[in-house]
This record gives sequence, C-alpha cells and structure tokens, in this order.
Amino acid sequence: MSGYWNDILVGSKSLVTGLMITAREFFKPVVTEQYPYDVPEMTPLFRGHVELIANEETGAPNCIVCMACQRACPSDCITLAGEKKEGEKKKSLTQYQLDFTKCSLCGSCVEACNFNALQFSKEYNLCSFNKDDFIIDLVKRLEDQN
Amino acid sequence: MQPLVCPSGTLPSLFSAEGFAGIIFLLTVFLVISGAVIAVVSKRLVRAVAGLAVCFTGLAGVYYFLLSPFVAMMQMLIYVGAVSILIAFGIMMATPEDKITPDNKYLSKLIGPLAGSVGALFFAGFSLLAVKTDWQVFPEHAAADGSIKAVGMTLLTTHSMVFELISIVLLLAIIGALVLARRGRN
Amino acid sequence: MDTSIWRPILYLIGIMVFAGLNAAYLGWCERKGAGRIQRRTGPMEAGYEGLLQPLADGIKLLTKQLLVPSGADGILFRVAPVLAMIPAITSLVVIPFSENIQARAMELSVLLLFAIASIAMMAVLLGGWASGNKYSVISAARAVSQNLAYEIPMLLTVICIVMISGSMNLRDIAMDQQGGFWHWNIFRLDNFHFLYMWVAFIIFFICSIAETNRAPFDMAEAESELVAGFMTEYSSMGFGLFMMGEYLNIVVGACLTTTLFLGGWDCPFGMFPGVWWFIIKIYILIFTFIWIRWTYPRTQIYKLLNLSWKILIPFSLVNVLLTAFFIKVF
Repeated sequence: MSGYWNDILVGSKSLVTGLMITAREFFKPVVTEQYPYDVPEMTPLFRGHVELIANEETGAPNCIVCMACQRACPSDCITLAGEKKEGEKKKSLTQYQLDFTKCSLCGSCVEACNFNALQFSKEYNLCSFNKDDFIIDLVKRLEDQN
Repeated sequence: MQPLVCPSGTLPSLFSAEGFAGIIFLLTVFLVISGAVIAVVSKRLVRAVAGLAVCFTGLAGVYYFLLSPFVAMMQMLIYVGAVSILIAFGIMMATPEDKITPDNKYLSKLIGPLAGSVGALFFAGFSLLAVKTDWQVFPEHAAADGSIKAVGMTLLTTHSMVFELISIVLLLAIIGALVLARRGRN
Repeated sequence: MDTSIWRPILYLIGIMVFAGLNAAYLGWCERKGAGRIQRRTGPMEAGYEGLLQPLADGIKLLTKQLLVPSGADGILFRVAPVLAMIPAITSLVVIPFSENIQARAMELSVLLLFAIASIAMMAVLLGGWASGNKYSVISAARAVSQNLAYEIPMLLTVICIVMISGSMNLRDIAMDQQGGFWHWNIFRLDNFHFLYMWVAFIIFFICSIAETNRAPFDMAEAESELVAGFMTEYSSMGFGLFMMGEYLNIVVGACLTTTLFLGGWDCPFGMFPGVWWFIIKIYILIFTFIWIRWTYPRTQIYKLLNLSWKILIPFSLVNVLLTAFFIKVF
C-alpha cells in the first residue's frame, strides 16, 4: 500500500520535473539554422575543393606554375599551364583546371605547394545534374571572387 | 421542452418549426428502420453491428420526440457508446470474419419463417393497439416526466424496487466478470 | 422560444468557422510548439512564420488520391472519417462561450457531450476494422479499451460538478461559478470544495487527454509500433478528417474543462467577464495539451489501463463521496 502512494507521489513529481524542463527549453533561443537564408560558417578544418590563393597586394594568384601539385595528385585531377610574361621573374598562371569528379580531397596538392598558392575552399553548395560542372576553372573562380 | 402539437387534419408548412421537426422525425424513423434492416440482412457481422448502432441512434431520436431527452441521451451513451462497441469489439477479437455458417441446415431453414411470423404477429398487435387506443392530444403533466429530476424521483420512490434489482444485476455482472477473468490465471 | 430561422443558421456558420479555423491552426500551433520545445523554429516557409502552412497542407491533402485498399470494407471505410468529425462539431453546439454566445442551452448538455462522444469511439473502431489491416485492428481495440477505461473516471468527476451545481446544463454550471476564481469549481471556497476539487480537475484533465487519444496516451496511433494505427490505410481527406477530428476533440475537451472547472467566461478577479476570458482559458489548456504531448514519451497499454483502473477510478470514487459529504455536512 505504501508502494502505491509512493508511486503516485514520485510519479507526479517526475512528471512535473519533465514539464518544467520542456517549459524552460520553450523559452530558450532557437539553435537550428534556417539554411538557405542563414548560411552557416564552415569550420576552419573543413575541406572543400581546393582553390587558389591570391596575392594580397596584386590580387593575382600566388602560383608560379611549379607543377608540384600536379605531380602530387594521386588521381590526376589537376591540369595547369602558365607562361612567362615580359618583365617578370616568375611564371604566371594562365590556366588551372580541377577535375573535382575524380578528386578525393586527400590534400596532397595543398601539402606539396611551397608557395602558399593552394588552400581548401569552404565551398559546400555543390550539386548539379551535369558532370561538366565539376571540372572547375580555378583561375576564373579567383577572378570572380575578386 | 415543448411538445410539438399540430391540430389534427392540418399539415404544417414545410418551413415552419413544426414542419421541420416533422422532417427530422421522418429521418429518425428512417434511421431506425434502415439500421434494423442492415443489422438483419448484412452478411458481415461488423456491418450488422454498425447497422445496430444506427438503429439505436434513431431510437434515441424517437425518445427525444417523446419528450424524454434524458432517455435519449442514455440510449446514445449506453447502447451506441457501450453495447454496440462491446459487441463489435467481441466480434473483432473473437472470430475471423465471414467464417460463420449455421451448422444445422434444417434448423436454419425453419428459423426464417418462424421469425418472420413472430415479427408479423408483433407488428399486427402493435398496429391494432395504436389504432384502437384513444390518443390524447397531450397531457399537461407529461411535460415534466422526461426531465432528469422527474426520472430521479420516480426511480427512487415509485420504482425503487426496479432500481435495487438493477443494482443487484450489475453487481452480479461485475462478480461474474471477475470470476471469468480470474479463471485464466493461477 | 425564438423560432427565427436565422439564429440556427448563423450559429451553424459560426460553429463551422470556429471548428474549421481551430482544426487548421491547431496543427500549426502544435508544430510551432513542438519546434520551440525542441529549440527549432517549426514551419517557416509558407507565409509569415508559416502561417499559411495549414492552407498548404489542406491543398496537398485534397490533391492526393483517396485510396480504398482492396481488402477493406468499402462502405465502413468511407463512413468512419465522417463519423469522426460529427461528434466534434455537434459538441460545440452546447458549449457556452459566454453568457450570450451559445447555440443551444440544453438542459442535459453535459450528458449530450458524452453521449455524442461515443460516436467518435465508433468511428475509430469501424475505421480500424474496415481498413482490413492488422495494425489498424489492434489500434482500434486499444483505442476502445482505453476510451472505455477513461470514460469512467471522467464521468465520475463530472458527477461531482453536477452535484455541486445541481444542474446538467453547462450554462447553469458556468453561471454558478461567476464572480472571481474563488467561485470556480477547482478552487471553490464554499463548502470547502477546494480541498479535493483540484484532484478532480487533474483527473478530468488526464482523462480528457486520454479520451482525445493524445500523447502520452496515443496508443491508438503509436507510430513506432502500429505505423499510424487506425489511420494507416487512410490517405487524402480521409486522413485529413481524422486529424481535424482529433484537433476538434481537443478544443471540445478544453472548452468542457473550462466550463466545468475554470468558471467558463468568468474573469479570475471579477472584472470584465466575457467571451475573451473563455478563449484565453481554452487556449491555455490547449497549449498545455501540446506541452504535455512534447514532454512525455508514450506509455504502454498496460500501464495506461492500470493508471485508469487502479488510480484514477478509486480517486474519483472517493471524490464523489467527499463531494456528497461536504455538500450535506456544510
């Protein structure tokens, strides 16, 4: 019999506790993000596809077309070309194509780069019906960003 | 509650309160008859129970027209809300549907005419009674008869014997249910 | 008696509008409430704060095909959703929203509500059986045993109120509680009814949650075990009608609780009584329904029946005795 009353008392108390918890949560701010309107910041270690780093002063890519990244790439994703312009010491980049359909985001290219010219982008909105959309022209992308 | 009285020999207009009430009365009678027919004719037991519930609902309407709203509500509460539901419940739980066939062909042939003649006899008797009775238009004191107070007073004074008997029946039913339910356990 | 034909028609329209708006927007409220409790936003896309969501849902349901499974009992399958709506709308006829706003002040309105409610049970039973689906039949059986079990303590607590007010007319019961919260049946000072009437209120509230098949008592549509119970086979507006019926039953339950225990349209401090107090009270109660739904997990059917038969019924019986005692002694 005492168990009966005990059950009722303990049960009611726990029910009230539960209600209090949800009531408190009700008035707390929302933690979810409204995705298309509310674009989240990606974490620093997020690996999107690679992108070129621009020179802070000129805005041109840091890349000197040493081909280290192309050699480092195990999947053969990277095609790049450059030319030596008049009056400049280094080669400058004319074309940098990333075939993202084959890329496995291993990061060997970024590791191989000695000139601070490649980094992982924070791009995550990647979807398309067309495979060709993932052969990305990184030079054009950099120009668009500038 | 007011009685709806229409002077004999005249038909009320369709859009007056009396006329509208008449239409609703015909509807309730239709409910009773159609429900009863469904209950008897339909092959599926659950449909028969649904027909029974319709019939009970119509009966509640008839009680309402007889100036006893209390009985009408109780009809709904007990017969629709409890009795038909329990029957349907029992059918659903107990038997696979459409598997019930009369085991005695000879008896089942006899039952139909027998039930038909008994029904016809009852119908004839009640019709005769209805025709022979000297119907009063509306007795003045009857208006209060259907109220809950009058029902309570009558149950505890004039018909207290019935009241006590019903309580004994209910008690027996409870004890019986307990005994039946206990049998399965150790 | 006013026999003008306009009065019933106006009330009919009013009740249909009230019922329709509530059935539509309680779904929105529930989703918003659930969202806030789980620290989400709930529907946001359709209209401002998702206010057009019920409309969008309705259009979506209407465009779906109304399927009748081949193993189903066609007639009963089609009739059941309509039956689910009948009691919900009919009950609103006798609810006194304020002193002057009531479609019909029937002498036996309390009884009428419970008599009509039995049709809803029939709807669940027939709908579940007619689907020809094992889940639905199990769900119907559960719903009926649950509703029968919880109708008893509910009616017993209502008997306490009827004894105190001496009337079965909802309007009289509400009129009896006018003049501040100390006159309400839940805290009633005269005859020391406040000593036990709050227990009756809690019992009644638990029962109304169970009668409307709401979580944590939603054994009938336990989606984790019975898919959606008796609604499994329903699509399109058949499903929509069941959902609307559920929400309207919540409204009726809240209206009934307000009228029986919380003084109807009376203001807590005796000022400005009116329909707005009634509306405020019912929506607080409805919010509590939603709050409870999103707080507790579903119980088991055994525990559910145990709660009714072992705790609520004895308590409500004692309550009836206490009420009679306090009315006679003081």
